[in-house]
Amino acid sequence: MANSRLKALISLLSALILTVSLTACAGGQNEVNSLTIYSGRSQEFIEPFFKTFTEATGIELDVRYGDSAALAAQILEEGDNSPADLFLSQDAGALGAVAGAKLLASLDQSLLERVASNYRAPSKDWVAITGRARVMAYAPDRIAALPSSIDELISENWKGRLAIAPTNSSFQAFITAMIQTRGETATESWLRALQNNSPKLYEKNSLIVQAIDAGDVDAGLVNHYYTWEVTEELGREINVKNSFFGPGDLGNLINVSGAGILRTSKKQSFASELISFLLSDEEQARFVSDTHEYSIVLPELRPEGLPALNEIKAPRVDLANLSDVGRTQALLIKVGLL
Amino acid sequence: MTTLEIKDLGVHLGSREVLRNLTLTIPSGSFAALLGPSGCGKTTLLRTIAGLVRPSSGAIRFGKQLVSVSSLVLPPHKRNIGYLPQEGGLFPHLSVGENVGFALSKHVSDVDRSLVIEEMLELVGLSGYAARKPHQLSGGQQTRVALARALAIRPAIVLLDEPFSNLDHALRADVSVEVVSLLKKSKTTSLMVTHDREDALVSADLIALMRDGQVVQSGTPEDVYMDPASADIAESTGDILELPARRLMKNRAKLLSPLHLLSGKTSGELEAGSILIRPEEIRVHQKKAGLPKAKITQINYYGHDALLELALPGYSKEIKVRVTGPLQFEVGKTVALEHVGPIRWVSKKPTGE
Amino acid sequence: MTIIGQRNVSQTNGAKQRGAPSLALIAAGLFTLAAAALPVAYLIRRALQIDSNLLRTVLFRAKTLEILITTISLVLAVVALATLIGVSIAWALSNVDLPGVALLRALVILPVAIPSYVFTYSWLSLEFLPNGFFATLVVLTLTTTPYVTLAALAAFRRIDGAQLDVAQTLGLNQLESFFRVTLPQIRNAVGAGALIVALYVLSDFGAVSLLGVDTFTRAIQNTYQGSFDRSSAALLALILVAISSLVIYFEISFRQRSTLLKSSVRITKRLPALRSLKSKAWALSAILLYIFVALLTPLLVLLQRFFSRVTPIDLTELLIASLSTISVSLFGALIAMVLAVPVALLAVRETWIGTWSERAILLVHALPGIVMGLALVSFGSEFPLVYQTTGLLAFAYSILFLARSVGSIRTSFAKVPINLTEIASTLGQTKARIFYRVTLPLAAPGVLTGTLLVFLSAMKELPATLMLRPTGFETLATEIWNNTAIFRFSEAAPYALLLVAIAAIPTFLISRPDRDSERGELQ
Repeated sequence: MANSRLKALISLLSALILTVSLTACAGGQNEVNSLTIYSGRSQEFIEPFFKTFTEATGIELDVRYGDSAALAAQILEEGDNSPADLFLSQDAGALGAVAGAKLLASLDQSLLERVASNYRAPSKDWVAITGRARVMAYAPDRIAALPSSIDELISENWKGRLAIAPTNSSFQAFITAMIQTRGETATESWLRALQNNSPKLYEKNSLIVQAIDAGDVDAGLVNHYYTWEVTEELGREINVKNSFFGPGDLGNLINVSGAGILRTSKKQSFASELISFLLSDEEQARFVSDTHEYSIVLPELRPEGLPALNEIKAPRVDLANLSDVGRTQALLIKVGLL
Repeated sequence: MTTLEIKDLGVHLGSREVLRNLTLTIPSGSFAALLGPSGCGKTTLLRTIAGLVRPSSGAIRFGKQLVSVSSLVLPPHKRNIGYLPQEGGLFPHLSVGENVGFALSKHVSDVDRSLVIEEMLELVGLSGYAARKPHQLSGGQQTRVALARALAIRPAIVLLDEPFSNLDHALRADVSVEVVSLLKKSKTTSLMVTHDREDALVSADLIALMRDGQVVQSGTPEDVYMDPASADIAESTGDILELPARRLMKNRAKLLSPLHLLSGKTSGELEAGSILIRPEEIRVHQKKAGLPKAKITQINYYGHDALLELALPGYSKEIKVRVTGPLQFEVGKTVALEHVGPIRWVSKKPTGE
Repeated sequence: MTIIGQRNVSQTNGAKQRGAPSLALIAAGLFTLAAAALPVAYLIRRALQIDSNLLRTVLFRAKTLEILITTISLVLAVVALATLIGVSIAWALSNVDLPGVALLRALVILPVAIPSYVFTYSWLSLEFLPNGFFATLVVLTLTTTPYVTLAALAAFRRIDGAQLDVAQTLGLNQLESFFRVTLPQIRNAVGAGALIVALYVLSDFGAVSLLGVDTFTRAIQNTYQGSFDRSSAALLALILVAISSLVIYFEISFRQRSTLLKSSVRITKRLPALRSLKSKAWALSAILLYIFVALLTPLLVLLQRFFSRVTPIDLTELLIASLSTISVSLFGALIAMVLAVPVALLAVRETWIGTWSERAILLVHALPGIVMGLALVSFGSEFPLVYQTTGLLAFAYSILFLARSVGSIRTSFAKVPINLTEIASTLGQTKARIFYRVTLPLAAPGVLTGTLLVFLSAMKELPATLMLRPTGFETLATEIWNNTAIFRFSEAAPYALLLVAIAAIPTFLISRPDRDSERGELQ
């Protein structure tokens, strides 16, 4: 009796599983008119753009969302077998890693020329889509004088008041940029001084912004758009503002999200079409208004309440080299922040 | 109607030789009991017959069918045997009916199946219990269901492994008599392993006595009781007293032992040995001339009889004597002992100890 | 006396009496062994590509030692605490006459359904726990305790209450008889549960990353994330494998060989139920406290977030994600069952394939999901037909979580009395039919429990799911991630609540003692 019940259950379950797996497998990877995208950019922010693209071109997009670094590692593992046509990354580092393994195809000159030369790979195989500014988020009622340089943050009166996210790729890109411009020794002494100030360490930028709002910490080094994210999550105004440093200061680093086309893709022209779409004036403006990022095509646009990209006076940094964070991590480990 | 024939059977479990050169024949339709101390290999023999243990040598025959020759064996499921293990071994997840019908072929129709089950349950006196689960039955009922299950396939041979060991004493006699009479009625050749000599003596047509992996004696209960091959073997079927004795070579009837006072002349060569006496073969007299005297040291009273322990001059150990009827003895009294049974002479081995 | 002694001897030889395994069984066991070895082989291949300079930096830097110490201390502390709490809860549930005990049993197990990243988020959002080692200890203890509780509950059920009566007549008080009679009998089961806890802590990423504690798993993740250096990451993962083999070795040497036999001892009397008001009040408040912090608090936070959300619920998306989760996790659980049963049968027979397959399964259980995911990406992408299908994802689940099922499946097979299979064979049944008609039905409750545990674990798996699911295939876990990655905790709340709700059903099934077999044992 127990036997027959067990049998019935098993056959029912197998039937269910079979149907679902068959329908799931049928998801048209091999359709001619479709692109497979590995997206390190989150679904919430990028999907509306994809929808517009499909409506305009009829090209279906199969999107695999994931963490940029994990997707980069996945593409590296897949090598020539990767089913992906296009890789959209949150940061330059992940793109650089994939490009470094020679897995990306060269992009059309017309695409590359949409952006300023410092926002594309010298190897011509990836291009930036949006800009993300490093800022200092702070609680306006607790910070009287805003610092004009990151070097002020290592002074005595910042002790215990600053938050950082040293495992986060955006912070690491910032340190990589510092090594590029100031050299390893200078960077190490800056990091040591920072460490002596006992900063509070968080895993994510959003947690830093939340901690500032909650009063756990007075300020933190984050990307500029997290104030919106936390505001939207909490459903109320938060007691956090963004501040840029003085002109040309490293603290104003502009990191980018970007895209590259897989060398093994058989649909490179479709993929180019999508990149071209994302770099169009219309969509670039939409990034600024909807996701609160900076447009690298239209530097004069400003996210609400912030200066425009061309007003920030970002430091001159070679973004392509930001993927080389091996040295950065070694340094962070050395000073004890990782 | 199957004769069970075992010839020169040898079994090794790991590196240990458990059975060696074992030979035994159980006539068709008879109920045999396998008796022996624990560790003598009787359960292994049963399991080998069932096909659960692979022998290293010898042959087993069910009637004309050779089921095992040296290490070539027919697997258990093709032997058509009924097996009653200790405690019945009912499948706890199946009902009584499902247990009984367990071995019936898949091709048997549902109607036939329930007919067989009902017939078997009726046979063991448990009609109407088919829907119950084993844990709802008493120990005796479980044993009977196990028997019904074993008989449902009309086995050629039924093997019972101490089937009554988990029943309490009172229940045990009833169930064992019932089971044995059922088996005898169905004229199935049966072999039961037991360590209870009364079980064996009462029920079996044939008793096989085992020692160290061999059958050392087999025969009817009277044969093995009355005519044991050695003192050691005699002990398997009941208490035994072994007395050192000597006898006149010329006149074998003349015995000299603590119980036998030799009258008349004692000339001639004496042969040393011993005699075996069952406790009920000594008659105790309050007083009688010409008989050896002994002093009562202890009385174990059982109601229907009593066991006297006596100190016999000339013998270092206490001897036990069974007396029936109203008890007329007291501890400390001296009585006269008379040996009334047959004389079982055991010669001293030529190259001794 | 002699008979009892003899019985015990024959049971110790149980492994041999069960007979030699068939070729099909051996083949199935070898397949599982190979499948479990796959990620390790991948790691070795990757680690061999490291250049010697980097090798030295990774291996011999002070940080690695620090990570090692942190990891091991965290494992030891969580195992100790979870064991203490889990055994206490199981003891109270088995020995105290509590109202609604069936519900309580399910509720103390249910925290396994909450993914550790969701659990950590909800506690973090209460701004009550500080970051760091202590918080991680608390979070991991609360989430892993059910694995011990579950094992201990089953072990308590197998203890004969008459033994405790005897112990008391021998002058032992309650506490003494717990330590001298009860504990030795639940020791192996609890040890197996504690092993799962240890491996869980080794492989956990959700809690350690959010709370900022440097364990190997986090170091591995950071290495992938920061430098895209797969060789160093593989090397770190191999160190993790070494630690897990150490943990497994400890568990094996802690295990008492004889318990396999004890499990078949007849239960003549249930454990006595304490009925005094004082003991009831103590037990109930302790259990409710655990349920409050480990289950209710995260659920209440989720609910609060759920009601504070602004966007309307997309029911279709919820439904699709639920069905996807259920089907692919069940698929994985069934594969795990098919793989675990031969391993369990081989392990019960004490063959080397069984023993080593079981160890290999436990070994890879300590690997973080991202490593398993990448190993299967590396291997699976060679086969475009299966790559990124639900089939491969389900296979990944089965390998990842086989360890959680194989213990309970092995125990349930070991408990099937040998004499019943022998009787079946004398009743004209072939080996295959005996397995199907006797062994499997008797072991079914344990097999079901093991399979459901894999199901529960697969439902909340994230890193491997992200890599191996078919493109566009969203499960509840990926939907939660989609939202939490951008700090939309409220948007994630419906998915997380649904995940817990779905998980509640198998949890209830697992926590329910199997009535049929229990009565069978009581006789």
